[in-house]
This record gives sequence, structure tokens and C-alpha cells, in this order.
Amino acid sequence: MKILVVEDELKTGNFLKQGLLEAGFGVDLARDGDDGLHYALTDAYDLVVLDVMLPGIDGWAVLQGIRKSGKDMPVLFLSARDQVDDRVRGLELGADDYLVKPFAFSELLARVRTLLRRGGKTTESEFLRAANLELDLMRRRVSRSGKRIDLTAKEFALLELLLRRQGEVLPRSLIASQVWDMNFDSDTNVIEVAVRRLRAKMDDGFEPKLIRTVRGMGYVLEASECD
Amino acid sequence: MRLSGRRSMTVRLTMLFALSSTVVLLLLGNLIAGSLERHFEEQDMEVLTGKLKLAQHALERVRSTVDLGVLPQHLDDSLVGHHGLELVVVAPEGQILFATSGAEFPQSLLESHVRVDSARPIVWTTKGNHPLRGISALARTGIKDAQPVVVAVATDISHHEHFMSSFRITLWSFVALAALLTGFLGWLAVRRGLAPLQAIRHEAAGITAHRLDSRLSADAVPVELAELVEALNEMLARLEDSFRRLSDFSSDIAHELRTPVTNLLTQTQVTLSKARASDEYCDVLASNAEELERLSRMIADMLFLARSDNDLVIPDREPLDLIDEVKGLFEFYEALAEEKSIVLTCSGSGVVSGDRLMLRRAISNLLSNALRHTPVGGRIAVHVDDTGDSVVKLSMENPGDSIAREHLPRLFDRFYRVDSSRQRLSEGAGLGLAITRSILRAHGGEAVIRSERGTTVCELNVPV
Repeated sequence: MKILVVEDELKTGNFLKQGLLEAGFGVDLARDGDDGLHYALTDAYDLVVLDVMLPGIDGWAVLQGIRKSGKDMPVLFLSARDQVDDRVRGLELGADDYLVKPFAFSELLARVRTLLRRGGKTTESEFLRAANLELDLMRRRVSRSGKRIDLTAKEFALLELLLRRQGEVLPRSLIASQVWDMNFDSDTNVIEVAVRRLRAKMDDGFEPKLIRTVRGMGYVLEASECD
Repeated sequence: MRLSGRRSMTVRLTMLFALSSTVVLLLLGNLIAGSLERHFEEQDMEVLTGKLKLAQHALERVRSTVDLGVLPQHLDDSLVGHHGLELVVVAPEGQILFATSGAEFPQSLLESHVRVDSARPIVWTTKGNHPLRGISALARTGIKDAQPVVVAVATDISHHEHFMSSFRITLWSFVALAALLTGFLGWLAVRRGLAPLQAIRHEAAGITAHRLDSRLSADAVPVELAELVEALNEMLARLEDSFRRLSDFSSDIAHELRTPVTNLLTQTQVTLSKARASDEYCDVLASNAEELERLSRMIADMLFLARSDNDLVIPDREPLDLIDEVKGLFEFYEALAEEKSIVLTCSGSGVVSGDRLMLRRAISNLLSNALRHTPVGGRIAVHVDDTGDSVVKLSMENPGDSIAREHLPRLFDRFYRVDSSRQRLSEGAGLGLAITRSILRAHGGEAVIRSERGTTVCELNVPV
């Protein structure tokens, strides 16, 4: 998977590149709009991360250039302003998602993965599994090593989210918005408590431990064999 | 200064002043000229009717056609001493019985149907360019069974005309002069009258951002301007208040940012000062990330507040049952409440038209706040009530330490904390309630809080 990052701010650009490389993507970094458009049109990318405020031609123009050339890879734009106009404009011009600066890298990574998954295969399986954990989507049942675990509806939704995105660190804000529809900054203590309670039900007394806290970033469900 | 489209008040008042005095003078002039002319006419009429009577008298003495021979002699006698007087006597058949030399009368005056009592003088000009005023009448002669003759008499009025035309010239030049003079005097008066405005302008020019506490002196201005000055002073007071809030806000921001930034900096520098195990680096970075996340949330909140202050927060309205939103939020806060053995209850119902995301956020902030202040084992009760007065009232009641009365009005101010020494971590950034109020205001509603005897009640009044 190859990602093009168009970002003029030196540090932000470098960290985005490093972070995405370490997450396993191939990354090209362009420092201004003209380079960005040139890269996007000459090479094949699976996704473009595009800053709006750029020297040379701005992000909007790059986005238009990309869409005009008939390329339809997902574009995620980064806006410094939390303005509705900006969002609407970006989405109208054919962007697929946006993030407002400052954003958490884990949030960006989660969005990037969502966008890349979109358009891919969406075969809906009936079961989600990790190690000895099994989630029966049809019957809304959870079991570990064949042992039935009772979860509340929200706990089930939380576990389903973590399972669907195994190995991804999910930021608290993303969890709040996906599970509880809290699409704004809310009390993140709540997520901590909810995850703790979920863990108590499905990790305590079982091996391996599946849900791990990544300090400063969020939570990840991983069936790591080594532990 | 822009000239087009705007006229000076001085010019306008001066013009109006000059115009009105000119109109008055013109009316007056016309009145005087008119009455003078009527006076001359009356004078002329006196002479003319006198002469007409003399002529009629002379004609009555004509007993036979023989007497007609001496008639001119009689008439000439009666005209003696009257310069510029013309007389003509016309027989019914149109034959001229007598005429002064060079007499020119318009035909209309000599028609036989003229009546004495309806005689109005008419004015005409002769070929010799003499203006005349004349009347005519029927007169009976002493001859038996004879038809009455027409007698017409006219007087030269050129001396009157001369007088009137010179009088008119004098009058109109005086009017013009007076108009100019009153215009000038008006201009002076207006300038003097508007002097208080100039004074206010001078005073206002001295008010700057640093001197927002100064006010225009309302006692020194005329009554008409007192209201204006008061309105301006009220505006200044509002500006001063907003300005003070703004600068308070800036210093609050600086203060709120200083602590976490200092922590971050110190921690990072201490960590960098010597080589450490990678676990330690991880710890520091993770703690930095947490701190930075809090900072970025605070920035986002402040941006929201700044936008709402500028009325840029526009709710995307849809019909919402508030109780549904409360139940949704209860699901979110459930785990946290159970940890503290707090019971969440809700009752009532009420549909409003509002922005779902914003109202959820507003209620969420209240709930989060209530959860923080409710002691273990307490109960948070939310009640939604459609007051029927096109306002839906959502009240949230929770036990906890009573908040002192003086704090209540300021609780919704940004960064306001009841206890300034309270821990930052437990309290959040202090923007939650401010955001709640902004959201309510964007919806045309209001948020209020009261607290007594160990119970705190927050009320959101949302227009339907």
C-alpha cells in the first residue's frame, strides 16, 4: 500500500512519513502543491494525505487536479481550520475524509486504514475470532475457549470494533464515536472504565490477554503469540 | 471624508433656513405689491366714476338734437384740469358724438350692453404706448324716446406703472438680499447650534482601547443630544465589558497553557539530560502524548467558543426528543456511574428542534460535570419537561456540596472554577459549561444553575 503525503510543514511532514512507514505503508512526501500534484499524477498511490494550506497551488487545486485526471484513490485532507465551509468544500471537491489539526496520529492512522479498507472486499462473515475468542455476530454471543461470556450491548459493540480492527491502535475518541455515537470531545475516562470492565469480563482468567492499552494512543486487540 | 452621497448637516440646515425665509419674503412682497396696485386702482376709479357722472350729467341736460352741438363744449369744460383723461360718447348707432383728441378705446368697452353697476376697469395700451385704465357706462340723454348712449372714460396710468415697476425691482432685490443674509445668519446659527456635536466628537476622539472606562459627559449636552450620548455611553460600557472579557480570556488561555507546556518541557528536558532505558523513554513519551492530547482538546474547545462568540456556530436543526438523547448519554456514562455507584434516572419527554450533535454535547458536559461532583452512592436525576410555553426545560439534579451564591452566575464563564486551588486533572479545562451555554445560546435558549441545601440543579431551556 502506497501513500502520498503532501505537507509543507517540515516536522509534521517528517513525522507523518515516519509514522506511516512504521505502520507498514510505502510513503512519498511532497513539500508543496505543485510537487504533490506531479507525484499524484505520475505514480500510482492507494491514498493521498493532503494539507489544505500549501505553498504554490493549494490543497483544493491539487485535489481538483487529481480528480480531473480521473484518478479516484481516496484523499484525506488536513485542515487547520475547524470551519464547516472547509469541510463541505473539501467533500464537494471529491475528498473522502478530513482531519482538523491538531489531530492525534492514531486517529489519522485509523482513518487511513478505514479509507483503504473501503472499496476492498466487504464479505460479511458471521464470526470474528482472535486466538481463543469468538464473536458470533448473528446470535450476539461471545465465548472464550468455548466458554460463554455475557456482555452488555455496548460492551459487545466495543469488542466487535476492537476485533474488526485487530492489531490497530484505536484512539479513545474513535471508540467513543463508533460505539456510543459521541462525535465530539467527551469525557475519555468513560472509555477507560468501559474498556476496563470489558477486560474484566473477557480477559481476566483467560490466556492470552487480548486487549492492550497503548499509553498515550489508545487500545488495541492483538493475539500476540509471544506473550 | 466622503463627499458624495452625504451632505453636511450645516449646509442642509442653512439651505432650509434660507429657503423658508425666502418663501415668507416672497409672499409678503406679493401681498404688498397687490395691495398697492389695488390702492391705485381705487384712486383711478374715484376719478373715473366722478368724470363719468359729470359726463352723464351733461348728457341729461341735452334736451334736443340741437343741444348736441354744444355738448362737446360742456364736456370739454368738465375735463379741464385733468391731464391724460380721455372721454368718448358713442350713440347707439355707433356714431361718435364726442371724443377727446387721440382717444383710443377698445371696442369691448363701447358695446351698448355694458352696465354701470358691473363696471370694472379694464387696462389697455394705446398705439402711442400709453397704458390706460378705463370704464364705461350707459347714459340717458334728455331727448325723449332716444336710446341711451355709451360713455367711456379712461385715464393714463403710466405714472402708476412706473412707480410699480420700480417698486417691484426694489422689492425683489431686497428679497434676494434678505435671502442671502438669512442664509448667512442661518449658517452662523446652525454652526453655533451644532457646536455640542463637535464637542462630543472631540470627546469621542479621545477614547481609545486603553481608556475604555471614560464616558462622554451627558450633563454638558443639550436635551436633544442627551439620549444619543447615553446610548453611546451604554455602547461604550458593553464594549468595555466585552473587551475586558476578551483580555481576561487571553490571560486565562496563557495561564492554562503555561502549566501543561512547562510540565512537558521540564519532563522532556530532564529525560534528555542523560541516557535512559527505553522503558523510561516510552513512559515519558506516553505521558507527553496524554498531556498534548489534553492541550489539543482545549484548543479545539476554545476555537468552538471563539466561533460561537462570533455567531459562527449555526445549529443544523432537526426534531429531537431530548429524553432519547439523555438515554443515549446514560449508556455512555453508565460504566463510569456504576464505578461510583451513582444511579442515573430520567423522566418526562419533550421534543425540540435543534442540532443533535450540539445538544448532546451540551447535555454530556452537564452530565460529566454532575458525575464529577456527585458523591459515591448518589443519584443524578434528569427531567425533561415541555412547559407548553414553546420552551422545553431539561433539568439535571445531583447531590453534592452546595455552590456559594456568588459563584453561580459565573459558573458558565470559561475557565471559571469555584475553587481556584482545585486540581486541574480532576476538573478538566473548565470549558465544558461555557460550551454548554454557547450551544444553548446558539439555539436561542439559556442555561441556568442553582444550588442549595446540598443539591445542585442545572437547567437547560431549549426553545421548541
